[in-house]
Amino acid sequence: MSSENANQKHYHAFFFHTMDQQNSSHKLGMWAFLAQELLFFSGLFMAYIAMRYFYPDTFGEVQTRNLLSIPMGFTNTIVLLTSSLTMALAVREAQLIPVEENEESKKHRKRLIQLLVVTAALACVFLVIKYFEYSHKLHVGTLPGKFYHFAEWPIFTDTDGSILGAIRPDGSIDVTSAPHIFFSLYFVATGTHGLHVVIGVGVILWLALRAKRGEFNAEYHSAVENVGLYWHLVDLIWIFLFPLMYLVK
Amino acid sequence: MGHSHSEPHISPLSLYFTVFSCLIVLTFVTVGVSELGLPSTLSIIVAMAVALVKATLVATWFMHLIHDTKLNIALFLASLWFMGIFFIFTTFDMASRGNVMKMSDTFEFRQKRADDNVRAGNVVVPEGIVDPEHSTGH
Repeated sequence: MSSENANQKHYHAFFFHTMDQQNSSHKLGMWAFLAQELLFFSGLFMAYIAMRYFYPDTFGEVQTRNLLSIPMGFTNTIVLLTSSLTMALAVREAQLIPVEENEESKKHRKRLIQLLVVTAALACVFLVIKYFEYSHKLHVGTLPGKFYHFAEWPIFTDTDGSILGAIRPDGSIDVTSAPHIFFSLYFVATGTHGLHVVIGVGVILWLALRAKRGEFNAEYHSAVENVGLYWHLVDLIWIFLFPLMYLVK
Repeated sequence: MGHSHSEPHISPLSLYFTVFSCLIVLTFVTVGVSELGLPSTLSIIVAMAVALVKATLVATWFMHLIHDTKLNIALFLASLWFMGIFFIFTTFDMASRGNVMKMSDTFEFRQKRADDNVRAGNVVVPEGIVDPEHSTGH
């Protein structure tokens, strides 16, 4: 027991001098990664700006045609915000686990595991709702790019394969509407975000397993903290994606 | 004792629940505003302002930036700075494209091609087409 405690107090890697140095290095590395993530997603947001610039009428028409379900997007926002709260609370529990093994540490460790499992479960709820949204779109034919074949809002393809615009009911062509490009953007942006959620479920469950093995306490929990940061960033991206895709005209 | 500055700051539970409540209220606000039918530009400004407030709440309190080191805060702000450069300069580029673009890439050219196809009778209005002006939605 006492030797176990002695081990637990010194688990910084050999190339660090102190726990403090290790913790702050872990965090700096994570923030560098998050900065990269923001720049990575900014490409998709720039594509959105360009889409608005070149096909300004498309977004308003997506709204009037009710092509994205606001109730589903809204529910997913609430689910993701709640999972962000449970993740933040999980980090707090990890901070509260005393280094000495006792009743107190058991209590906080149990809460940490519960909060992590709830966070992963909420992430799965998000993915299930996303699955229903996607499958409906695949069903009606609002697919990206050249796979687009939605009869209610058809597009005209010229003999050389280039898409000139959307067909109006009177048989004319609207060259400022590009539903096939809108859905390319929608699937790539929400799909990339969804991939981050899937990875999030994996790493959160990995944390829960490590917590169950008794690895984390007030001194050593930088993995919990960093996954928390990652998870909040996924939430942050959705905070912008939701209004831009579902709400704004 | 004897811990240095990097000792984790433990925020009270009430803080997390307050931030969470604000985020939920702002989500209702942003959906509510979108139902008002504001003009396009105004609706974007309102939606992005609300999203920025929400993002600031998450970054400051959930991500603990307020208790973080200056280096990590600088790293985060630097990525926002470069994001801004990327957005602004690319938008400048798009806005001045008309000066240098090949004729075959312009909207006028595509409109002409579209009209030619309409005149030649190549456009088939498929069955099931919906006019958004008269659409009631699903």
